[in-house]
Amino acid sequence: MKLLLLLLAASAAADRVLVLVDNMSIRESHSIFFKSITDRGHSITFKNADEGSLQLIKFGELQYENLILFAPSADEFGGTITAAEIARFVDQGGNVLLAGAGSNVGAAVRDVAADNGFEFADQLIDHVNYDSVLDDGTHTTVVASAKSQLMEAPLIVGDRSKLGPILYSGGALVAAPNNRLRLDVFKASSTAYSHDPTKPIKDYPSAVGRQAVLVSAVQARNNARLVLTASLHLFSNQFLSATVNKEGTKPSPSGNKAFVDSLAKWVLKETGVLRVKSVDHHKVGEKEPPREYTIMEDVDYKLEVEELKGNKWVPFDGKDVQLEFVRIDPFVRTTLKNKNGVLSARFKLPDVYGVYKFLVDYRRVGYTHLLDVQQVSVRPLWHTQYERFIRSAFPYYASSFSMMASLVVFSFVFLYHKSDPVVAQAKKTN
Amino acid sequence: SIILKVMSSKSGLLRSNSLGYTSLLTFVILALAWFVGFASRLFAIVRFESIIHEFDPWFNYRATAHMVEHGYYNFLNWFDERAWYPLGRIVGGTVYPGLMVTSGLIHHVLDLLNFPVHIRDICVFLAPTFSGLTAIATYFLTKELWSAGAGLFAACFIAISPGYTSRSVAGSYDNEGIAIFALQATYFLWVKSVKTGSVMWAALCGLMYFYMVSAWGGYVFIINLIPLHVLVLICIGRFSSRVYTAYSSFYVLGTILSMQIPFVGFQPVRTSEHMPALGVFGLVQIVAAMQYARTRVTRAQFLTLFIGGLSVALGVGLVGYLALVWGGYVAPFSGRFYSLWDTGYAKIHIPIIASVSEHQPTTWVSFFFDLHITAAVFPAGLWFCVKNVNDERVFIILYAVSAVYFAGVMVRLMLTLTPVVCVLAGIAFSLTFEKFLKSDEHFRGSSAGTDNKQYDKLKKQKGSEGADQTSSSPDGAPVSEDPIGPNVRSIVSFVMSILLLMFVVHATYVTSNAYSHPSVVLQSSTSNGGRVIMDDFREAYHWLRENTPDDARIMSWWDYGYQIAGMANRTTLVDNNTWNNSHIALVGKAMSSNESAAYEIMRELDVDYVLVIFGGVIGYSGDDINKFLWMVRIAEGEHPKEIREANYFTEGGEYSVGAQASQTMLNCLMYKMSYYRFGETRVGYNQAAGFDRTRNYVIGKKDITLEHVEEAYTTENWLVRIYRVKKPANRNGVKYTERKIRPTGGHKSSSTVGRSGRKGSLKNKAVVIKGKRPVTA
Repeated sequence: MKLLLLLLAASAAADRVLVLVDNMSIRESHSIFFKSITDRGHSITFKNADEGSLQLIKFGELQYENLILFAPSADEFGGTITAAEIARFVDQGGNVLLAGAGSNVGAAVRDVAADNGFEFADQLIDHVNYDSVLDDGTHTTVVASAKSQLMEAPLIVGDRSKLGPILYSGGALVAAPNNRLRLDVFKASSTAYSHDPTKPIKDYPSAVGRQAVLVSAVQARNNARLVLTASLHLFSNQFLSATVNKEGTKPSPSGNKAFVDSLAKWVLKETGVLRVKSVDHHKVGEKEPPREYTIMEDVDYKLEVEELKGNKWVPFDGKDVQLEFVRIDPFVRTTLKNKNGVLSARFKLPDVYGVYKFLVDYRRVGYTHLLDVQQVSVRPLWHTQYERFIRSAFPYYASSFSMMASLVVFSFVFLYHKSDPVVAQAKKTN
Repeated sequence: SIILKVMSSKSGLLRSNSLGYTSLLTFVILALAWFVGFASRLFAIVRFESIIHEFDPWFNYRATAHMVEHGYYNFLNWFDERAWYPLGRIVGGTVYPGLMVTSGLIHHVLDLLNFPVHIRDICVFLAPTFSGLTAIATYFLTKELWSAGAGLFAACFIAISPGYTSRSVAGSYDNEGIAIFALQATYFLWVKSVKTGSVMWAALCGLMYFYMVSAWGGYVFIINLIPLHVLVLICIGRFSSRVYTAYSSFYVLGTILSMQIPFVGFQPVRTSEHMPALGVFGLVQIVAAMQYARTRVTRAQFLTLFIGGLSVALGVGLVGYLALVWGGYVAPFSGRFYSLWDTGYAKIHIPIIASVSEHQPTTWVSFFFDLHITAAVFPAGLWFCVKNVNDERVFIILYAVSAVYFAGVMVRLMLTLTPVVCVLAGIAFSLTFEKFLKSDEHFRGSSAGTDNKQYDKLKKQKGSEGADQTSSSPDGAPVSEDPIGPNVRSIVSFVMSILLLMFVVHATYVTSNAYSHPSVVLQSSTSNGGRVIMDDFREAYHWLRENTPDDARIMSWWDYGYQIAGMANRTTLVDNNTWNNSHIALVGKAMSSNESAAYEIMRELDVDYVLVIFGGVIGYSGDDINKFLWMVRIAEGEHPKEIREANYFTEGGEYSVGAQASQTMLNCLMYKMSYYRFGETRVGYNQAAGFDRTRNYVIGKKDITLEHVEEAYTTENWLVRIYRVKKPANRNGVKYTERKIRPTGGHKSSSTVGRSGRKGSLKNKAVVIKGKRPVTA
């Protein structure tokens, strides 16, 4: 029974992964990487990139949740897959892992990268940091230090202090200036540059030093994830199980395995996925949200957030989630208290009426963008809600009551007091 | 023409000497005036349909419907979150509720009588119905001022006068529709209370004033005119205990009552517009005390008291007022007030007021257009009043003089001029007819004049106690002494009748052709005389209603706010209740910025759709491009760094969207949205592409691409264009033309059209060679 449940859970979480290769031998040469993916419960379909039967979206529905493009030389994909189709795939929430190469990058692959704000530069060369054993003399098998060249992003790269040196062989990525969604996960060292190693250098290399991005992660605004790299070798069995030999350092096992595993986990949405389970707001002491709030009321706000961990949704333990109460500008900004995944706050509404939003806009590196907007109206007081008797009005109360009293007195005098008619006559003649 | 028939038959019927006939006749004439006034206002319904017109009426209708549905207190406390997003609007506190309450009450009464009428029909027919009440109120006012005959003339004039019809045709469900009745009734009751000096009439006047306050912001006119009347009476030595009683009762009651309207609140004691009334109230007390003291002290003492007391009181009052203004307890005069004295003021300081067409100065033509013969005749009536002046005629003189001035300043105030013109023209006509028809009557044995006299005397006997009637007899003018030949009489009478006839014809013509357009539906005619109805506005609003989410926020210029709220039932950012200038300026800034700057503003304001009115295809001149300069000006007022009016002109300093237009103009959001895809169309066979029919030239930039907004809907005649504001791009791609790296060997873009079964292509396709290991890339 337990096994069945586990199976069910595994199959529910199991994502379909399409791997496009330009050569079926990649399946063998990168088997360690693929095995770790299948071990985590994903089902992989291998296809040649130029196969005529390829299809990503059928009748508007995604056929796969994830796409791994290990076909750097593809000039044109087969079937209905085009760069535009892949863009559509991403816009509908599909994740993409794209690996290029140092040279011979196909037009289709370039287009896919360009759709996400990247271009492929030539082979990366580093005359200082290269592997003395694996390199063929062109200094293109680069050894990178995990500490200084990886981004501080544990969800994407893993714990970089524990990673060994990373072997890299391939081209470099150049990011477009408008590409604000990218995270430069892995940058080249300052001594690296990109160029064709067989040709003399005539003009300035298109990527130099730390501008050259080796692995970049992009989380689109719909939370679809992409990892782009210019090296297919990064994932190869050869690099994953290699021992790194660099001049002046001791030989050590490469950190590629841990690095690409954690990259794959991130891009296949196994880590750093948040979701709002429920959101609730109401007046203090009540249960249901009112149709509209009144100014100066005390409000309880509660947001339940969950994180995906090991195929299970568990309460999120972040302590830095903030709530804003916004009407063009935030009128209230407060940090939510996290109690076992239930983030809550209690605050007083501002003394300004209008249409407000409870806004939680949580963006952290590696996490999906957590956004929750609840629009409410805050109305002014009802005409019956104002204070009835105020101190500054006492003179007016006094005057009205004295007026009433004097009216009674006056009517009494007017009705029952007869003035002397002679005097009145005398006055008139004056 | 019915009126005229009645008019001419009146003189004939008046021969009978009985009071009963006179009353019957009066009743019949007033009833007919009501009927004709009602009927002539129905052109819009006959031509189009029973529909609410224009802009403000849509809000009034929406508010009325809300009140009828949810009850008065809910209406009073209604917080409208669909207006002025995201600020919202407290409707109950920012509206004159008289109109809504009136129609709600009528609806309720009819409901009680088991006579269910849709609230929309009540709203549509309210103004025509009230025009009859206005006629009756005018009759009573004129009767108090002059005579019953003049009253009947005035009632008939006001019933059809175009100046008043313009604001009260069926469907024009606006405050003015009932406010003119309230205005006339208040003036009648004021005149009555001055004449009688009775607290009852003054209290009624205060009540009527309360109704006026609840109905229209124009009540400020009353609360300044009546004190002015009192002040002038004091100055010309006509002050009496009647005036004292009337004004004191009226002011106290009226002020307290007016403060019950939430929108007015403490304004009567806290704004400068209301201070003259308070000052005159104080003055009246002093003058009354003086009069009381005069009989009790010596002359010398009195003079000291008078001069000393008065100057001290004036000084203290003035210093006190200035101190209160300086201390912020009393608001200084508002910009709207200044713009009444300096017509250029608004254009410089408050562009939002100047941008409204009905706030422009009046042209001479529109005086004739709106008043016709009465405009020419009323000075005569004014002259008769000046010649035979008494307390209440001082009032009508002041009313006439001030109303003429204000009508000259603003087209809109033609409305307050019309009633007084009708009253005075009625007096003039009545007097002239009396003079020129009388001997005719003598000849036949019984006279309309004497009849009139008797009727007036009767009235005088009723209420003449204490009134100084020595010089005020309406027939005191030396009329019957002059010998006039019968030919002259008949010619004059004939000409006058022709004039009246022409007035009726003109009024009907103007009502039918100029004032009966709903402006929600446009009408034009084809070359062979057929009518073409253009229903683009409703088409667009209906599209919004059916195709956008319920909470979609629509950005448009404020003119269309009420209509969008009323017809499309969607949230708007700004509307015709122009209470927040900076919010309007923000919308103006979005419209006049380039697309990316506008996009930022629109994102900030959560705009989902943008609506523009574009008349270039059909030649509709009231479109947004023609209003655009005002948007720029209003935006410049708040954001002078980003928006500069000068940038939107051509080098020659003209406003143009043609070939010479500036780059700022051609790249602003308003231009782009108005002319998007317009360059591809031709409006006529012999016109160039992109020829704008409203501006009559070819537009400056035809190939317009939109980045952050996309066209969502354009109506049949392109009158309304709706754009959807796009979400921010999911990915930040790099365009092919912007790529920096060109791979060697030439780069070909991958095919954009995929189809099943198509083979792809790889650069180094693996070839299987037996006995060899495959090589990886």
